[in-house]
Amino acid sequence: MVLDPIAPADITTEKRYRERWSWDKVLWASHCIDCYPGNCQLRVYLKDGKVVREESAGTFQTIQEGVPDMNPMGCQKGVGWSRMLDSEERLLYPLKRDGERGSGRWKRITWDEAATEIADAIIDAVQEVGPESVMAPSGCNLGTWGAVGRGQFMRILGGLTTDLNAEMNDFSPGHYLTWGTFDPVSSIDDWFLSEMVFIWFQNPFYTRIPHIHYALEARYNGAEVVTVAPDASPSSIHSDYYVPVKVGSDAAFALGMAHVVIEEGLVNEKFVSEQTDLPLLVNPKTKRYLRQSEMEEGGAEDQFYAWDSKTNQPVLAPKGTLFWGEVTPALEGQWNIQTRAGSVQVTTVFAMMRARLKDYTPEKASEHCGVHPETIRTLARKIASKKTNFLCCLNNAGKHYHGDLIERSQILLLSLTGNWGRQGTGLRAWLSGLMDGWFTVLAKSKRGPEEISSILDMMEQMVGFIQSQDPTLTRTQLAIMQAKMPGQGQGTGFVPPVFWWYHHAGYKDAWRNRAWHDPSMAREFDDYFNEAVSKGWWQGFDLPRPEHPTRVIIESGGNFIRRTRGGGKMLLKHLFPGLKMVATLDVRMSGTAMYSDIVLPIAHQYEKLGFGIPSTHTMNLTFSDKAVDPPGEALNEWEAFGILAKKLEERAKARGVEPYKNALGGEHDIREAHSRYTANGLWTDTEAMFDEMIRDSALIGTLPPDASLEELRRKGYFRFQGLGISARAIAQATDPKPDETFVPFRNHVEKGEPYPTLSRRAQFLIEHEWFIEADEHLPRHKDSPAQGGNYPFQLTSGHNRWSIHSLNIANHVMQETHRGAPHMVMNNGDAERMGIADNEMVRVFNDMGEFQVAVKTSPSAAPGQVIVYNGFDAYQFPNWATANDAEPGMIKWLHLAGGYGHLQYWSTEWQPCAVMRGTRVGVQKLS
Amino acid sequence: MAKKAAPSKRQLAMVFDLNKCLGCQTCTLACKTAWTTRAGMEHQWWNIVNTFPGRGTPRDVFSHGGGYTKKGEPIPGDFPSKRLWGEAWDFDYEGVFGSNRDEPIPLHPREHDGAAPQWGPNWDEDMGGGEYPNSYFFYLQQICMNCSEPACVEACPRESVYKREEDGIVLIDEERCHGYRFCAEACPYKRIYFNEQRNIAQKCISCFPRLEAGVAPACIRQCPGRVRHIDYLDNADGHIYKLVKKWKVALPLRPDFGVEPNVYYIPPTSPLAFKENGEFDDTGSRIPMDYLKEMFGPGVEQALATLEAEREKAAAGKKSELMDILISRNWNDLLGPFTVDPAQLQRQPVR
Repeated sequence: MVLDPIAPADITTEKRYRERWSWDKVLWASHCIDCYPGNCQLRVYLKDGKVVREESAGTFQTIQEGVPDMNPMGCQKGVGWSRMLDSEERLLYPLKRDGERGSGRWKRITWDEAATEIADAIIDAVQEVGPESVMAPSGCNLGTWGAVGRGQFMRILGGLTTDLNAEMNDFSPGHYLTWGTFDPVSSIDDWFLSEMVFIWFQNPFYTRIPHIHYALEARYNGAEVVTVAPDASPSSIHSDYYVPVKVGSDAAFALGMAHVVIEEGLVNEKFVSEQTDLPLLVNPKTKRYLRQSEMEEGGAEDQFYAWDSKTNQPVLAPKGTLFWGEVTPALEGQWNIQTRAGSVQVTTVFAMMRARLKDYTPEKASEHCGVHPETIRTLARKIASKKTNFLCCLNNAGKHYHGDLIERSQILLLSLTGNWGRQGTGLRAWLSGLMDGWFTVLAKSKRGPEEISSILDMMEQMVGFIQSQDPTLTRTQLAIMQAKMPGQGQGTGFVPPVFWWYHHAGYKDAWRNRAWHDPSMAREFDDYFNEAVSKGWWQGFDLPRPEHPTRVIIESGGNFIRRTRGGGKMLLKHLFPGLKMVATLDVRMSGTAMYSDIVLPIAHQYEKLGFGIPSTHTMNLTFSDKAVDPPGEALNEWEAFGILAKKLEERAKARGVEPYKNALGGEHDIREAHSRYTANGLWTDTEAMFDEMIRDSALIGTLPPDASLEELRRKGYFRFQGLGISARAIAQATDPKPDETFVPFRNHVEKGEPYPTLSRRAQFLIEHEWFIEADEHLPRHKDSPAQGGNYPFQLTSGHNRWSIHSLNIANHVMQETHRGAPHMVMNNGDAERMGIADNEMVRVFNDMGEFQVAVKTSPSAAPGQVIVYNGFDAYQFPNWATANDAEPGMIKWLHLAGGYGHLQYWSTEWQPCAVMRGTRVGVQKLS
Repeated sequence: MAKKAAPSKRQLAMVFDLNKCLGCQTCTLACKTAWTTRAGMEHQWWNIVNTFPGRGTPRDVFSHGGGYTKKGEPIPGDFPSKRLWGEAWDFDYEGVFGSNRDEPIPLHPREHDGAAPQWGPNWDEDMGGGEYPNSYFFYLQQICMNCSEPACVEACPRESVYKREEDGIVLIDEERCHGYRFCAEACPYKRIYFNEQRNIAQKCISCFPRLEAGVAPACIRQCPGRVRHIDYLDNADGHIYKLVKKWKVALPLRPDFGVEPNVYYIPPTSPLAFKENGEFDDTGSRIPMDYLKEMFGPGVEQALATLEAEREKAAAGKKSELMDILISRNWNDLLGPFTVDPAQLQRQPVR
């Protein structure tokens, strides 16, 4: 055989590949719908007006000298996003159901026809029931336009929107009980400065792909990494210590460590005295603080005491500062104090807690949590001597029935060791805020700085007035007070969904089952539920009521049939039969879309302007440009809700709909729906609106003074400069610095700024009568109740690796990076014992429901544990029944408590959430 | 058989740090969107990350032969069947979303003949080895190793596979290739795919068009774990030289294959194992040392000891060049000479 000579330099293959790597336009991109905390900066490359691919930009600057930069941020979903723009699950045209719900029989209709049907259904519902019968379940893929579009639309017609945090159950009740907010968040680069990194209630190797390198780089910098989880999660493989706790027993583990810290004399007494309620005086009999009202006539109910060891007498705990000045508060002791009612023996909260910790010696704690006592001792000593960070983006403990106890125990441990409010320390949840202009634009009647200035002036005046009445109030407390006012909460108008679930979605049956609750729930669930409502603990918003059955569902930004604990089947059985209209707006055919009456196509990322959800995780506002027009008839959400508003106005006029009131008395005139939606034509152009949002935020001080859309197009992102005006952001209680990692609560630690709690300190004693009745006035461990019935396996979960929620899950490219179908991880020994082979289908069941799924066997799962990562859509399972179908979605009755100090609802904060971790299930071979 | 490849003037090399890999497949998708979306390439994953111990891609990846004996003789290999690679599965979107049907059907993957898949490119993700709670695994990134003794080059009777003189990158001339797949049989890492539609072999091209423009390969430049270092092996000031030659912590994969690969790996550490009574066992490795030696050669024990010693130095507040390299506070330092931002380039398509 004679071959031609090879001349590599000229070879056509090389030329061809060189030519393939070409483009004619490059724009900024990020993935702002559904991804949190995300804020990755990418660039999208276009050829001939089409997106060909995207690439991580790598343009972030170093913030703090010696700390790694944030480049490159991205993940497999992000760098493969372009695969979704024209994929099979994409929605292109408005569709109307042409058969039973869920039958998959559709006909294509026009936007006008779709809007007419939706508008008429809304008007029917308003006229027959009231505006509260129109419900928007919150979801997290709202993005820039969904949040304002849906919010504006629902506000105009007076419908209800469920609180995002309860819908997702991303709330951390134990944080809220202790700190008065659930959401302290440090920046990702701060993880690098830790000496001990705990990965606990988190699987960042799945969920924090762009960020987790900081923990591994901290490790190379000398830090030790600990993963605490029942299963050897993918996050444990790069740890120094993997601590396998029994499912839901983490409070015992934390309290065992707290015991060691105290008994070995390792307590950071200064921190504990200043930051917490542990030095406050308490009556051990009543389990209530000693109050000024007990000591003197007319004394305050919220004025508490400590014991000054120098002068040997009780002293008032200052309300305006955490610092004690000349006083040296005793942490322990017993004293007889003369009150108005006679002599009372008091002690400190610390002493009460220490006595309680006698039940959590390492040996006793080990019996609950399964961790060896020596491990508890070793790790406790390390935490006490090192800058320790409990690394989370949201503390997933809240997904456990007793998650509040777990979180309170974790915080106790951190406080004893002085581990928050300085670099390299803390515990975190999630946070939005910082981009105030996102919502201020909706309050404006014209463009420009004028109205923002007057809003800011008004707020300053109000702050001045209230502080003149009570100078001890902090800005955080004032912002929260404002957020608690009716209809507030960053313009979200949320209502806690617990009441909706109870009255209209069938949950009361599960919640009334006392066997699925903790045995310390002394009375029937309904007794507590009714007491909470009748005592007015849940006033101040348009509470979902039994007399307002839901008639219309507007699903935009979520996939609530997939997501809702308790399962789609529960909603389909109890809620859907009464619904006259289910309208879903989405980029793709979701499980919820499949059961909808009308489905509306929404513009995807790269097809509309957007910014990443603003938070202190990255401290950046990251820009995503509109690179191409949406395909088919897809529209961005602002335009979509604008069409609905216009049609609502048109139909209301035609049908002579008079102005009406909601149950709180708020008036709504939907004959002006569209003019109100656009603020009389001010907001029709999303470019202008976007620019105004940025400029407003600059005026408010969260973005640089010269910030504009034009400037953002140049730079791609802005670093936040201030916290702005939202209560959640202000509650971070730290002034951001341009050249430092961000750590919340520095003002508490460095400046003595009080916390927004009843005691104005990190509060471990919760005196609410229900908490005392349940013996949960202080942190403790309780076993998880047998939710779902008495079955041998405990079902756990977590976000999956391959999709942001369910957004990417049905995409064929992403599916090839796993088994392409839902799976349940099961311990290999358990599977073998039951004769179940890898990839074999099983039936998983309990008294609540059942589903079928393929098993994936692994020695990483604990015996007795089964894991189904969430995000798989219903239609990926046989019979479209998901793991949620076996989860009763229990709520803990104590979380209905109110009427006590800081225990009051405000947007995304104190409220019951449906839990699911540790649900009991049986597993059976299908064949 | 063709001639053996001549040594290149310079050799491009990479180091992948297994202690930072998240198994997230961002590299995999970065590569997919860059190169392998075209017809006939849907099933190709030039870059893939698999869980080890595991069976890999294609299934039982290191059991299909290829490479050289110690004496330098080619070891016969096979070309795994389509099922072992994993097909680009079919999903019946239309049937699930839109057809007339009485019972809901699930959206499940199907091979092209309608069968349920039994393997795919990441089938045994996160399964690993050992027994609870002493289970273990690590993620292993697999791309073309641009070997210094590339068995694929020698195996091609048409001399379609060649090693570039200027940078040592191994490429397939798709114009010459007749789709015999001898190269794929000879590759012991099984990193060469077959394009049925065009009847040619295709594989990772090390993003050479990017390298020529000073831009790091797509997988390297987008790795959010900051796992991947790239440079010329002969740059004594560069990360690769320091990690491979100076600190000797970066090791070749399966050195017994005899092909002198130019991708090196920082071997995996693992959490302390447990004794029978539940206490930490600080003797020995959770991942069995024999397995690590099989994968990374006899140098692995010393490499792990060096890593541990340098980490302790850092913990004590002392400077460690090795830890500083592995941290790479400035991301660009990972990229060697390939730090150009591609968005700054003009690369108008040829019309």
